[in-house]
Amino acid sequence: MSGIRKYLGLILAIVVVLAMAAWPVINGKDITREVVFTMLLSVGLASSLNILLGYTGYVSFGHVVFFGLGGYVGFYLMAVHDWSLWTAMIAGGLASAALAFLLGKAILRLRGGYFALATIGVNEAVRAFINNFDPFGGPVGMSLNFQVYKNYGGGAREALWMSFYILVALTLLITVVTYMVRSSKFGLGLLAIREDEDAAEVMGVIAPNAKTWAYVLSAVFPGILGVLFFFKNGNIEPAPAFRLQMSIEMIVMVMLGGQGTVLGPILGGAGYQRLRGFLLTNPLFKNIQLAVAGVLLLVIVLFVPAGVVGWVRQRFPKLRRVLQ
Amino acid sequence: MKRSITLLLVLLLAMGALLTACGGSADTPAEEPAPAADTSADTSADTTAEEPAAAEPAAEEVTLTIGFTASQTGKQNVSSTRQVNGLNLWMKDVNDAGGLVLSDGTVVKFTAVTYDDESNTDRVQELYTRIATEDNADFLISPYSSGLTAAAAVIAEQYGKVMITTGAASDSAYKQGYTQVYQAYTPASRYLTGAVDLLASLDPDAKKVAFVYENSKFSTSVVEAAKAYAEEQGYDVVLFEGYDPETTDFGPFINKIEDAAPDAILGGGHFQDGSTFARQINEKNIDVKFFTLLVAPPEPDFADLGDAALGVIGPSQWEPLAAFTPDSAKEAGLDWYGPLGDEFVSRYEAAYDGEEPSYHSAGGYAAGLILEKAILDADSVDPEAVHAVLENMDLLLFFGHIKFDTSPEAHGLQIGHSMVYIQWQDDGSGNLAKQVVWPMEGATADTLYPKP
Repeated sequence: MSGIRKYLGLILAIVVVLAMAAWPVINGKDITREVVFTMLLSVGLASSLNILLGYTGYVSFGHVVFFGLGGYVGFYLMAVHDWSLWTAMIAGGLASAALAFLLGKAILRLRGGYFALATIGVNEAVRAFINNFDPFGGPVGMSLNFQVYKNYGGGAREALWMSFYILVALTLLITVVTYMVRSSKFGLGLLAIREDEDAAEVMGVIAPNAKTWAYVLSAVFPGILGVLFFFKNGNIEPAPAFRLQMSIEMIVMVMLGGQGTVLGPILGGAGYQRLRGFLLTNPLFKNIQLAVAGVLLLVIVLFVPAGVVGWVRQRFPKLRRVLQ
Repeated sequence: MKRSITLLLVLLLAMGALLTACGGSADTPAEEPAPAADTSADTSADTTAEEPAAAEPAAEEVTLTIGFTASQTGKQNVSSTRQVNGLNLWMKDVNDAGGLVLSDGTVVKFTAVTYDDESNTDRVQELYTRIATEDNADFLISPYSSGLTAAAAVIAEQYGKVMITTGAASDSAYKQGYTQVYQAYTPASRYLTGAVDLLASLDPDAKKVAFVYENSKFSTSVVEAAKAYAEEQGYDVVLFEGYDPETTDFGPFINKIEDAAPDAILGGGHFQDGSTFARQINEKNIDVKFFTLLVAPPEPDFADLGDAALGVIGPSQWEPLAAFTPDSAKEAGLDWYGPLGDEFVSRYEAAYDGEEPSYHSAGGYAAGLILEKAILDADSVDPEAVHAVLENMDLLLFFGHIKFDTSPEAHGLQIGHSMVYIQWQDDGSGNLAKQVVWPMEGATADTLYPKP
């Protein structure tokens, strides 16, 4: 009993992800699959960012760079060298991790606003590089032949369903990883850095290393997700791969759900995308959906800085065991 | 202990309730599009006028749904809106005329279902899936821009829905093994090849060409194809240089052009850089006989450059001046279909407060016309019959010649349509005026050659 109670936070998070995943499987509708795909993609991205933003307290405004770079590397291997999706995903994740490792050594020495600015610069720099890098198609980008989808279950429909199941598995994996980080000694170190980096170092946390590994960990999954997204999308170009707005949305999702919690980014990502999807197809809000998202961020920062999960945890201390 | 278990139970119940709500809303998305679709039909200037139908009670009436996303927000907003305006005007024209009548008396009318794609690919597939499966669109029209179209094409192909693309010039989307996608625009690979042909027809002795172009997706794919074509035609490419989109000083490029001393310069990118380039070429008195730029010259504002605009040639998908008529169709041995260019322009201006139609608008209208003609020729609304007609389509519209590649390597690629080339010329009273100079069957004036 106590064993289960210890993991209640993780179980709840997994149940939420599985419930979302079950929705299209039960009703069998392609449109539900697409809606949930967008939601889970955001959940995955937000949860990854949460390791850096929520646990470590470092705001990365250019986190989309890992999504874009991973996507590019994986797409290149699939489109030009006929790699399978599986190996391409691994390669995409590793490429993002490698970039994060190198960057971490350099820019994680910066704190606060300086770090945030540097991450924007990194995103722009990588985009400019890809724009002039001929093997990746330069400004023209790359496309996947439709026949490729036949290798994954017989047709595009099967390939799209398969992408969905892969995404579900990845989201679950990310959830478990963020939970494990949070409850590990490494995670405690990160939380200490968030509260007071200097004090943490005095207490024996080797901050530069811990921050770098947190950065790497928060970059691996966006890289893998990038490969999966652009595989499904069928083509890749520099502008959509390194869209700064997507970075900002990721931050909104983490803050909406509750930074530093496992469940927060899951609820934040799913809730934000569901809301956006609703606003986008709703005739009343179609034209002001970006403004609504902006107001939402403002409201959260002003009134519920801890996000939904954080707020509930503050108000109902009894739930803290469950809501992690 | 007990308390926390109770709390957990309450929480699980709450979660259950939430999920049930989610489950309930699982059906909602199916319904959501309906109001959106209705609204779009309402707002698009009474696209679905039902009165004429009521006047013909004898015939069975079928309403086909045309689905597409539009960039109502984001950077493609202006061009996309014009494209959608063109398409909506076509729909209104058809419906106002009482619909299409098939041989068995069936009257075919059209209605639109559309969503905002925000000019980015994130949700394009989700929205097209919704259009295909929930709104049950019969035929699809592409979003604006090649990138969004590539994402939508995967969905069109998956559900076997015919998609007419417009505003999507890139070739690559048609070389990915799709069978349901048909392109209305001249592909990027032939955007400037007409200029090479024009040069050849003007001056067989001109052999040296220079390409100076903007380093962006569109311009790069255009000039790479044009370069290959020029070399094939025996031209000597003496310069091939890309410049950054933000370039304001073309001095270094102009110096290189002077050294290479080409007969012709081709390139450019978008409006800002293209007009700056043209002005600086003029200021430095570069002696070049033939000067063609992408995108900028067809814009009316290009005339503000004065002398620098004189003699500059530019490709356009369509121009109000282009004189494609039933007569020119006969000369070319093609079938003619649809309204004349003048009729389209006046209807468009009447429908949209005097706004002059751009080639995006014409492209939207033409996409509708292609579908209309295919349905009439198939004499059926069956997608497979329509698909079969599209395979063999070969006709002239006010928009130009329409014919699709049917080879497996480049299925659906536009091979009939070619760009119209305009040139800024002196109208006799000292003012600049746009004239169509190529292709021959649409020309309104002789080319000013060499460029003054």
